[in-house]
Amino acid sequence: MQPFADWLLSHAAPLVGVTLGAVALWLALPRPRMGAARIALAAVAGLASLGILSVTSLVPMEDPSQAGLFYLFAGVAVVSGALTVTNHDPVYAALWFAIATLGVCGLFLLNFAPFLAAATVIVYAGAIIVTFLFILMLAQQNGAAFYDRYASRPLATSIAAGLVLATLLLSLHAWRGADDSVASVRFLPPPEALAEQTLSGGEEQLSSMRSLGRSLFGDYLFAVELAGTALLIAAIGAIAIAPRRQGGAL
Amino acid sequence: MTTALLDNCLVVGAILFVLGAVGFLTRRNLILVMLSSELMLHGVSLNLVAFSGFHENLRGQSFTVFILAIAACEAGIGLALTLALYRRRKTLDIDVWSDLAEVAPRRDEAAEAAAVAYEADRGEEPAFPRLTPAGAVPKDVPRPYEVQARESADV
Repeated sequence: MQPFADWLLSHAAPLVGVTLGAVALWLALPRPRMGAARIALAAVAGLASLGILSVTSLVPMEDPSQAGLFYLFAGVAVVSGALTVTNHDPVYAALWFAIATLGVCGLFLLNFAPFLAAATVIVYAGAIIVTFLFILMLAQQNGAAFYDRYASRPLATSIAAGLVLATLLLSLHAWRGADDSVASVRFLPPPEALAEQTLSGGEEQLSSMRSLGRSLFGDYLFAVELAGTALLIAAIGAIAIAPRRQGGAL
Repeated sequence: MTTALLDNCLVVGAILFVLGAVGFLTRRNLILVMLSSELMLHGVSLNLVAFSGFHENLRGQSFTVFILAIAACEAGIGLALTLALYRRRKTLDIDVWSDLAEVAPRRDEAAEAAAVAYEADRGEEPAFPRLTPAGAVPKDVPRPYEVQARESADV
């Protein structure tokens, strides 16, 4: 019991952050009577949780411009992700999801993946517009529906989410080592054979569309063909599943 | 390559994944459930892209392209299914479909005792765990001990 208590104490800060986050989620998940006090409490707990986690779980970055952009994009992604999950109006949830997607695309840019950032924006812009139309068509006919105001099992889910997040974050802490110095070096280095095959020399090559195209259509040509086939099958399946009016028109 | 960026992106990816999971489990609107699963996919993509930048090779980015493709398939089929389900019950509530699940089976103690007696009768070791038959028992498939009872009745 004593080692467990010591372990808990040594990881108290991230655990408190995760617990606060779980409490904030539980408070913010939709339910019939959301008082203003409850929303304010959820916002305070959520922001406190984000603050604690950003101090204890994030590693300080040397480059100030990179750090600033990272905190901006990460904050946008996480906050709007939380609002997507907790907003009781599906229209606003879809809007917040679009903003979360933009934040994630910013993080893609920081990680030298400009093509993926652009592709994600394009693909999800289409997906969000279609989802939007669906929501307007199906969900908004009679105003807000009762099932959007009741979350199912908010308490159990918040506890489970806190446990999962604590596990993930503490395993990251364990990778980093006891002194909490940056030690991503502990992550597996790329195997020798793979290191020889890299198409890239540096960051410029990594972020160029040309080398991504060579990777996709060189190393993964077969998988690209399979993915194309999967898309075709999915399109046919969607047409087959979608209900028709009389006379066969969609 | 900066290791701090990788570590921090992994943290953000974990948070996004957990948020998506919470939405997937708690929301009762079919469309929002799908949006939450897309949020989980964002977390996974972020991990892949961060590792790709850290290792300075393009495999992670290529995998993310495949995630995008499969997410598009999923969205297409999911929306078609949503439309079909909506046509049937005129609601997006997920809970009205919970009758698709199996009814929780009741424990049939008489059947268990009969099965144990059947096995003891044949000189077999009793097999554990004794599973309670789930769902409705098919009418025309007799259980082994019923066959034995029928045979002994015939004799």
